[in-house]
Amino acid sequence: MSEAKPSGDDYLFEIAVFLATSALNCMDEPHLYGPFRLLDALSKIVDLPKYAPCLKEDPFLQRIKAIVDEKKFLIMYNVEEFRRAIDEVVKMLAKELKRRYLETSDKEK
Amino acid sequence: MEVFEAIKGRRSIRRYKREKISREIIARLLDAARWAPSGGNIQPWLFIVIDDPKLLGAVRKVSPGLFGEPPLAILVCSNRERAYRMGGTLGRDYLTICDCAMAVQNMLLAAHALGLGSCVIKSFSHTAIRELLDIPEGVEPELLVAIGYPDEAPKPLPKIPLKEIVYLNGYGKEFPGLEEWK
Repeated sequence: MSEAKPSGDDYLFEIAVFLATSALNCMDEPHLYGPFRLLDALSKIVDLPKYAPCLKEDPFLQRIKAIVDEKKFLIMYNVEEFRRAIDEVVKMLAKELKRRYLETSDKEK
Repeated sequence: MEVFEAIKGRRSIRRYKREKISREIIARLLDAARWAPSGGNIQPWLFIVIDDPKLLGAVRKVSPGLFGEPPLAILVCSNRERAYRMGGTLGRDYLTICDCAMAVQNMLLAAHALGLGSCVIKSFSHTAIRELLDIPEGVEPELLVAIGYPDEAPKPLPKIPLKEIVYLNGYGKEFPGLEEWK
């Protein structure tokens, strides 16, 4: 029943469709759907390397995706826990950002 | 399946097995849907069954609220023209929505009784769905129902205790004895 695996171009197009339809829907939907759709978009974008072989899968982002996919539905029944989960994800991203861009490597010293 | 068991056992399912659903079962779901109550017996509902994998794939792409890969989706529409002809503005603007919602609930319970999982979706692009399914003016897409054999067994979501949402013989007047209905 599954669709054929899309190419990188197709997958990118699907993400564009998802973002545009989400943007339109978010005009009228409950405001919490906005963060939810953004997280869902994050989850989809992290999968891009699966479809575009020129990109490399990022294990860290895969971990983030796993957390996002596990926690995103909290929005339906526990907004505070949903908020804590996003906060945790952002903290992880910030730490990783620091590690990747701000920490000096031994070579640079 | 006993009716209370069906009501309390049903969950919104967002992961499905790939197994196809027979047309006979689909017909049973639609038959259950059309037996829903309808204001003025207008029966404004129309059902567009989507089981073509390619078309379903396209529908998924324009439906941010549709999760997983269900083998079947049923778009419940209202025939607003007929509703207006038979029920005036009340029929067109309010009863249609109530009627379609009741039809969908019948469908969900029937699906659950047949071992199927389902999820009701309102987060789809009306504009895109109209285009993909050639829906004419005067017919309004109301709810999209994803259906398939479940590949997950979600726990029940918390419900607001009855005590907090029920009054007896007037707004704000306590209905005693509801404490146990958490």
